[in-house]
Amino acid sequence: MRFEHTVRIAASRAVLWELLMDIPRVAACVPGAEAVTALDDDAYRGALRVQVGPIRVRLEGQLAIVERDEEAGTASMRLDAADRGSASGVAATVALSLGRAGDLTELRLETEARILGRLGELGQPIIKRKADQIIGEFARNLERAAAARP
Amino acid sequence: MSFDYVVPGSLAEASDLLARGGPDAHALAGGTALVLMYKQGLLRPEKVVGLGRLAELRGVRRLEDGGLWLGAMTTLRAIETHPEVAAHSPALALAFASVATVRIRNQATLGGNLAHADPAQDPPPMLVALDATVEIARGLTRRTLPLGELFRDIFETALVPGELIVGIRLPPLAPRARATYLKFLPRTEDDYATVSVAVRLAVAEDGRCSDARVCLGSVGSTPVRARAVERALVGHALTDHAISDAAALVAQEIDPLGDARGSAAYKREMAAVCTRRAIATLRDA
Repeated sequence: MRFEHTVRIAASRAVLWELLMDIPRVAACVPGAEAVTALDDDAYRGALRVQVGPIRVRLEGQLAIVERDEEAGTASMRLDAADRGSASGVAATVALSLGRAGDLTELRLETEARILGRLGELGQPIIKRKADQIIGEFARNLERAAAARP
Repeated sequence: MSFDYVVPGSLAEASDLLARGGPDAHALAGGTALVLMYKQGLLRPEKVVGLGRLAELRGVRRLEDGGLWLGAMTTLRAIETHPEVAAHSPALALAFASVATVRIRNQATLGGNLAHADPAQDPPPMLVALDATVEIARGLTRRTLPLGELFRDIFETALVPGELIVGIRLPPLAPRARATYLKFLPRTEDDYATVSVAVRLAVAEDGRCSDARVCLGSVGSTPVRARAVERALVGHALTDHAISDAAALVAQEIDPLGDARGSAAYKREMAAVCTRRAIATLRDA
C-alpha cells in the first residue's frame, strides 16, 4: 500500500536536513520508536511499538539509507521489520524530499509499504489511519526538535 | 494459543481480575469481535474473563422517568425484540436489528458492541442521538459518561483496565420528538454500513425544528455527532431547501476512510444524502 504525507515545518531546510539524516535523533521524534542504534553510517536497527486499541505490536528491524542528496534535499530509505508475537512484518521504502513553502519547509514522504502476515488482517484503512496519526505526531515533534537546535 | 479462562460470579471479582491482569487480560462478553481477533492472531490474551455469569448486567428495564435501561450483557437480539425498546422508539429497535445477522445478534451483547469501539457499528450512533449515558464500574466504584465520550478512536475507549460497562441509560423521548436510523448498504444486507445516520428530531407546532441530534457511523474513527447540521436545523422551518443546506454541512464534520465499501469521497457524498433523507423522513412522518 502507498501512503503520501506532506507536512510543513517551521524550520530552515538546512536544519531539517541535518536533523533528518541524524537517524537516532530523528527516531526520537517518531512516537513508539525505541532502541534505535547505528550499525554503520547508513544502517540502523531499532523497534517501533504500535497500538490499535487492544492490538499491540513491536516491530523490530533495520533501516537503511539507500540514497541521499543534500543539494536536492532528497533521500530514500528502506525499512524491514517484524513482530514476532503476531508473526507479521513490514517492508517499506520511504522517499523523502524537502521543499520550500513560504517561510516554512515542506517535508514530503512517499511510502510504499508491504504488510505481511496477520497484521494485514487489520485492513488497509485502519493501517493508513494509524500511519497518518504517527506521521502527524512525528511532524509536531520534528518541529519542536528543530526549534530546540541553536 | 493458550490462555486462562475464568468466569467470575460477581462484577467486583471480574473487575479485580481484569485490573490485576493488565492489558493482556480481556473481558469476554458475546465474543463475536474478540474471538475473531484471537483467530486472526491479532490478539494473544493471557487471561480471558468471561462475563456470562453476571446476571445483574442483563436485561431491559423501563425507568421511573420513562427512560430506558439496557444491561451490558443483554444480547443485541434481546434488545431488538424487547417491547419496551420498541415503545421507547422504533428506531432504537431498528438500529439493533441492523447489526449483521440474527445468529450474530443472538450472541453479541450491548456492552461488547460498545467496548469494541468499531466506528462501523450500528447501535452507537443511534444511542448517541438518543442522548445515552453509559454506566461504568470498577470494583465498587461507579461512574457515568455521555456515550459519545466513551469512544476515543478505532477500537479505543475511555475505559481503563478493570472498568466494565454496566449498562446504558436513555432519557425518555420528548413528546414531539421522533427518531430514525438509516443505514446505507449498497452490497449485502448483513454488511457493515458504508455510511449510517441516526437522527432525533422534534418539530414544534409552528413547523419549526425545536430539537435535533444527528450522529453518523462509518465516517470517522468514532461515531460522529454532526453539530453543525444540528445548529442549522434548530429554530428553522424544515423546508426541503433548509434540510438540504443543513445536511450538506455534514461533509465538514466527518473524516471517512476509503475502503471496500466506498472511497472517502463517495462516503462523504453519501453521508450528506443519507442525512438529508433521514431528516426529511422524520419531518414527513
